[in-house]
Amino acid sequence: AIMQGENVSKPVLQVINTRAIATGNGPPRYRVLMSDGVNTLSSFMLATQLNSLVEEERLSAQCICQVNRFIVNSLKDGRRVVILMDLDVLKTADKVGGNIGNPVPYNEGQGQQRSSAPAANAAPSKPQQQNGNLSAAGPAAPKYHAPSNQFGKASAPSSVKTPGGSQAKVVPIASLNPYQSKWTICARVTQKGQIRTWSNSRGEGKLFSIELVDESGEIRATAFNDQADKFFPLIELNKVYYFTKGNLKTANKQYTAVKNDYEITFTSETSVVPCDDAQHLPSVQFEFVSISDLENTPKDSIVDVIGICKSYEDVTKITVKANNREVSKRNVHLMDTSGKLVTATLWGNEAEQFDGSRQPVIAIKGARVSDFGGRSLSVMSSSTVFINPDSPEAFKLRGWYEFDSEGQLLECASISDVRGGPASGANTNWKTLFEAKSENLGQGDKADYFSCVGTVVHLRKENCMYQACPSQDCNKKVIDQQNGLYRCEKCDREFPNFKYRMMLLVTIADCLEYQWVTCFQESAEFILGQNAAFLGELKEKNEQAFEEVFQNANFNTYEFRIRVKLETYNDESRIKATAMDVKPVNYREYSKRLIASIRRNAQLG
Amino acid sequence: MEDVHEVPRKRIATGHLAQHIGKPVCFVGRVEKIHPTGKFLVLSDGEGKHTTVELSEPLDEEISGVLEVVGRVTNQATIMCMSYVQFREDKSPFDLELYNEALKIIHEFPEYFPFG
Repeated sequence: AIMQGENVSKPVLQVINTRAIATGNGPPRYRVLMSDGVNTLSSFMLATQLNSLVEEERLSAQCICQVNRFIVNSLKDGRRVVILMDLDVLKTADKVGGNIGNPVPYNEGQGQQRSSAPAANAAPSKPQQQNGNLSAAGPAAPKYHAPSNQFGKASAPSSVKTPGGSQAKVVPIASLNPYQSKWTICARVTQKGQIRTWSNSRGEGKLFSIELVDESGEIRATAFNDQADKFFPLIELNKVYYFTKGNLKTANKQYTAVKNDYEITFTSETSVVPCDDAQHLPSVQFEFVSISDLENTPKDSIVDVIGICKSYEDVTKITVKANNREVSKRNVHLMDTSGKLVTATLWGNEAEQFDGSRQPVIAIKGARVSDFGGRSLSVMSSSTVFINPDSPEAFKLRGWYEFDSEGQLLECASISDVRGGPASGANTNWKTLFEAKSENLGQGDKADYFSCVGTVVHLRKENCMYQACPSQDCNKKVIDQQNGLYRCEKCDREFPNFKYRMMLLVTIADCLEYQWVTCFQESAEFILGQNAAFLGELKEKNEQAFEEVFQNANFNTYEFRIRVKLETYNDESRIKATAMDVKPVNYREYSKRLIASIRRNAQLG
Repeated sequence: MEDVHEVPRKRIATGHLAQHIGKPVCFVGRVEKIHPTGKFLVLSDGEGKHTTVELSEPLDEEISGVLEVVGRVTNQATIMCMSYVQFREDKSPFDLELYNEALKIIHEFPEYFPFG
């Protein structure tokens, strides 16, 4: 009945023999000779995911198995192949002992072998009776109903229900090759690229590419010009279609990571028809890399990632110098259960249409790892971005983020170091001064950056300003020529004036430690509350007012962004700290951090 | 009852009222309703629960927003208010839920937050 295309549920069959078929560059396919006690049929192929069963010898000659899922594919020569997608081994070969019954090879169109009750009822009742008979170790002709009863039926109808009456004999993608021009595959679109246009000396054109997958494998297909126009609106990501008749040619591995020697080009004869019966096709397969592992992933590799979009930036337009085109881009920040945050860059349409509100789960297939700012991800034209995908990892992430309180309070350390004050505080590296000292920040070759909350406890009034070159971008100290002129060595010029620049040494402290920090112009002006020029005047004219400014600045608390680095000056190396940015304390964020920190430490316990 | 200001007073939320009857406390909440006579206020705390505050003298001005009330807890689990301070919300809004979180921590770790 299986051969007639009937929907037999979970037939129980005996394996008579297995044979490996080499497929060139891929895992071996196993062809299985199966028997139902009455007939044997060799047109059974094992789906590659079940290969391990044969390799581990669980599925071997004479074992009994129950097929849970199978599909019938019709080859173009009229033969039918049953692909076994999922089966359970009920009894291994050694327990069976021999072939059950005396099966003869099945020929399509053969007459009735057994006159028993209709096959439709045969299958469900078979398993129970099968078990009963097996214990008797199989004399011939056990009393179960053979499913192969309806031989009288013509073999014409194909097992695939195609609309419009087209004779679609579906072949597996793995069997496609350039020597066959008439084929039909039933596949799911796992990736759909955008329409790309080009113009070169030979003219202009446009194309878009898709990746297709079925149980036997995957393949890339490209549609050019007219076919691109025709099919781009029709073909949707993640849907299943019958694709008929296209050109096969050797794949250009440069453009794709798809595992197939060939790729399809749509022609004017190609037809694409939606397929309804698609449950058996695998949907998009992901192999997620955890964000913390990305730090060890080499640059330019292609990965799949999934994470909660903790924050995202606005879309910006930048001009690509190469071809003077404007391109939209947007950075989004993804976080996963490892607590690490990574910045992913979206381009073009995806950047513009992105909606990160309500912190969705984002899955990206085929993103490229770059070493920009440590590690970050770039979404390419061949990548696909899924928002809130229907997959178990997505649900797990959502559950962790919303219900496990840790999820939202987790201080994520960003592996893509976003410098320069991001709007969301999620990327800053908060430390207490004690932690900064004990972790020996700044000892390495590079400068280390961290943020902390500290209170000003001392300011050094002496030498807090110097006379600097008045030119726009030059801050070099000028030499007083004593004749009313000031010389700047860097600009190699003399000026009649100078500008005061601040270089204020401040001691800041928190509950455990203190630190000397140098504050330049902007930070110093913020802390003192006056600009440099005014202070310069005060210093010369009104000492008392000058002192008062410093008194008022003392014992104020701010958020500092600090850069520490080991610097060598005249054979002496010292750790120097500079304040890059000084801001008023955002108490809400600060208390949230403290509360999270307390809770975390309490849990450790 | 003026001594309330001399004695350390615990910060509490509505849930803790029952355990502190007769004790001097400090309660922070948002004004929900003012009784027409001006003698009673209803404040809501960070969890949204309501507390009634009784004033020793009726209010002579309109108040709204977040208040910090210092007083004693009565037998009916209301607060007899001795003095109050209005929190300024012009610079940034006062996050009452966050305050509530902090309160929970204070009560969870009394060894680090001793009340006198």
